[in-house]
Amino acid sequence: MIPYLVTVRHRRSDGRWLRLYIPVLPILLVLSPLLLLGGLAACLATRVSPVGALRGTGRLLWALPGTRIEFEQGRTALLVSVR
Amino acid sequence: MNEQRRQILEMLAEGKITADEAERLIDALERQRPESPQGTASRPRPRPKYLRVVVNSADDSGDGPSRVDIRVPLQLLRAGVRLTSLIPPQALTKANAELTRSGVPIDLTELKQQHLEELIEQLDEVDIDVDDPDSSVRVFCE
Repeated sequence: MIPYLVTVRHRRSDGRWLRLYIPVLPILLVLSPLLLLGGLAACLATRVSPVGALRGTGRLLWALPGTRIEFEQGRTALLVSVR
Repeated sequence: MNEQRRQILEMLAEGKITADEAERLIDALERQRPESPQGTASRPRPRPKYLRVVVNSADDSGDGPSRVDIRVPLQLLRAGVRLTSLIPPQALTKANAELTRSGVPIDLTELKQQHLEELIEQLDEVDIDVDDPDSSVRVFCE
């Protein structure tokens, strides 16, 4: 399943939280022309098979849901969660 | 031969039941048997889905204690390993040269995708627990 929401939460030293909700699918759709062109150029430059790269990236995207990364240092914290 | 079957055969030998009755009783026993081991056997452990890395460390810089908690799906590791097959050979050669120059003589071209996948498969059983007076590190699968 493709990730649908990435949540980034940042707690500043003053204790205030900054929350960022990133809907993955709409952003991917908006950026898809740019990503495709950039990816194709990168594949040609590095002589990597574009089909293989696309398949690998797809697998990576599909496997992302469930990832959670949390860092806390004193009063500051950074939490990233992929759902 | 179990006890119940023996009793049925003894009853048949003594003439207390007919051969048809004995057959029916033995059939009934056979039907009951597959159910009993399932009820007593322990359920298989569910396969882990995530690799967790938890690091707790005491306050050593004056900012307060720090904590790192990372949960990565094992599927993501597998997908990442498959991506290594896309690395161009010239990049591997350059990486090998840099590693050798840094004093880490590892030949990345010898790392085969199949070996890495086997490594990921065996991660299920990994449980690393490091305890230090000031910090603790735990790596495990859940």
